[in-house]
Amino acid sequence: MNDTEIIEKARTLLGDKILEVSNPAVRRIFLKVDSKDLLKAVEVLKNDLGFAYVATISGLDSGESFEIIYHFGNAFSQLNLRTQVPKTDPHVESICPVIPGAILYERELQDMFGLVVDNIPDPRPLILPDGWPAGNYPLRKDWKYERPPEKIPGGKP
Amino acid sequence: MKFTVPIGPQHPALKEPISLRMTLEGEVIRDADLRLGYNHRGLEKLAEEKTWLQNIYVTERICGICSHSHATCYTQGVEKLMEVEPPKRGIYLRFLVAELERVHSHLLWLGVAGHEAGFDTFFMYTWRDREVVMDILEMVSGNRVHYAINTLGGVRRDIDDLQKKKILDSLDILRKRSQYYLKIGANEPSFVARIAGVGRLSKEDALALCAVGPTARASDIAQDVRKDDPYGMYAEVPFEVATATTCDVLGRVVVRVKELMESYNIIEFLLKNLPDGPVAVRAPRRAKPNEVVSRYEAPRGENIHYIKSNGTDKPERLKVRAPTLANYPATVVMLKNGFIADIPLIFAAIDPCICCAERAVTLVNARSGQERVVLMSELRRQAQERWKKAPPKKDAVWPL
Amino acid sequence: MLQRIVRWSRKKSPWILHLNSGACNACDIEVVAALTPRFDVERLGVLLRATPRHADVIIATGPVTRQIKDRIIRIYEQTPDPKFVIAVGACAMSGCVYRGAYNIMGGLDQVIPVNIYVPGCPARPDAILDGVVKLLGTL
Repeated sequence: MNDTEIIEKARTLLGDKILEVSNPAVRRIFLKVDSKDLLKAVEVLKNDLGFAYVATISGLDSGESFEIIYHFGNAFSQLNLRTQVPKTDPHVESICPVIPGAILYERELQDMFGLVVDNIPDPRPLILPDGWPAGNYPLRKDWKYERPPEKIPGGKP
Repeated sequence: MKFTVPIGPQHPALKEPISLRMTLEGEVIRDADLRLGYNHRGLEKLAEEKTWLQNIYVTERICGICSHSHATCYTQGVEKLMEVEPPKRGIYLRFLVAELERVHSHLLWLGVAGHEAGFDTFFMYTWRDREVVMDILEMVSGNRVHYAINTLGGVRRDIDDLQKKKILDSLDILRKRSQYYLKIGANEPSFVARIAGVGRLSKEDALALCAVGPTARASDIAQDVRKDDPYGMYAEVPFEVATATTCDVLGRVVVRVKELMESYNIIEFLLKNLPDGPVAVRAPRRAKPNEVVSRYEAPRGENIHYIKSNGTDKPERLKVRAPTLANYPATVVMLKNGFIADIPLIFAAIDPCICCAERAVTLVNARSGQERVVLMSELRRQAQERWKKAPPKKDAVWPL
Repeated sequence: MLQRIVRWSRKKSPWILHLNSGACNACDIEVVAALTPRFDVERLGVLLRATPRHADVIIATGPVTRQIKDRIIRIYEQTPDPKFVIAVGACAMSGCVYRGAYNIMGGLDQVIPVNIYVPGCPARPDAILDGVVKLLGTL
């Protein structure tokens, strides 16, 4: 099935849950849904459209809200599902009940952006070090890092 | 009685720090758990402060073994953002280096697998052949690792006829030697018996946990980005996707050996059909606001980069997912119900690029709570002694 | 007299420990490639050991990440005296491309004292061998 057939089928199954659709290049489809329809959309993608493989989950800090993009793939095409949550209420539903392999990517989202993923099976931090002060989320645009001055061994202090 | 064994950083068996905690019962592993982060270098934040060209060198140094794969995946994506089409000769040279890198990575892994299974002679043989490939790469690009041959709009160097002839001659030597290893591997029953049946990953588990690369292909899933989503010139090159049906470490060895042979054929095809022309075009400094998803088949699996631009000469967001991260949940499943003596072999079978962790195992006695650190080499030595005494599995057969 | 024999044997056969503190692996593969038949460092008496308790020389690569900083200090203290540290690669010297990232300390000498620096990205196996030989010459 090529891209246009996939988009048609998605429209018939999900109807008006899809807010935006675009197909900028061959085998690249971008869909946008609302955050409360996320789990239903992922179930439809897995069971009816054949996208059972999640490559990764990217987070973006776009000013007033966070955008989360789920990258799916199968033997025919590559589909990206986008959703948006406001910064004042950064909660998103976990897709692990449908696709268990997404657990590490959701833990990384929690670490890097401070998003809260509801019903995640394993909420521990993934990649930040043990002594990291809480409340510092490195990939937010307003978080800056000041490098402490280095000491040069054998040089002037 | 359950023990919890932390396998922590600092391990002699090669490579990078990672920490695994395993719960044992006797010698059988019941549960495993990961702690990443020893190798987290904060690259995605750093990439937002450097220009498009400087980021090629940053992405190259994500990994030392598959450095060209990250650089090419990034460069492909940025060329789409800037709407720049590199010339055909440039594309062919870029993927010539990519296939050479795949050869060197699989030879490296075969040596490591031999070393973990106790077959040190094999390790020395394959790494000696790897030096032949490193010499070719040094002749083409100037460095043994981190070739930096990509630039936005093509490649930086060209090859002439004398170099082409030298590469084809070396390819003959490598082919002959690889056939010899195939013969050794098939006729060495202790080696085959050691790796058969270890680290099982069924097809349903591999699909549910989103495994990639040879780990998934050994469980009979024909998933290869070069066939599903062809990039560069792979749509014109005839090759086959290698799969195996045994779902264990033996299957992964077979898949990688088949891929090695396919790579030799692809390199020969590329050299014989190299088109003439320029090798690079000029690329602009800024990119229009857009986003792109770029995928690439690295030696370990699928590499995916998501790049977003906002009209300036620095990226807005660069997201990288290396293939070994996708194989971690599958590793946890593979370790369950396995023996503690098999931990080095199972972990090496997914080809960890933990720049991927160093592994030291900490054994915690669950009853008394005492901890005892055991090095991976100690585990490997115990594993070898244990397997020397076990009866050979007469029914393990090399399926190639 | 005994001191002279001990010092001679230490010079002729150093045992090394290979430590990776968050590197990209290229320098580590070059360290292991130094053991392979082409560069063959074992003919000089150098042996790769697994544990810090047996090692004379620590060969360390990689920019030091925050998570592994405490472990490196612990390993350095576990190695018995006299010990020497060789920092291999541009990352261990000053951080290479990663200078300025939030999780990097900026070079190995911010954490433990270093005797020899071997530059390169990655450092060639011959250069690593040269560094080890220079170290032994100062003993």
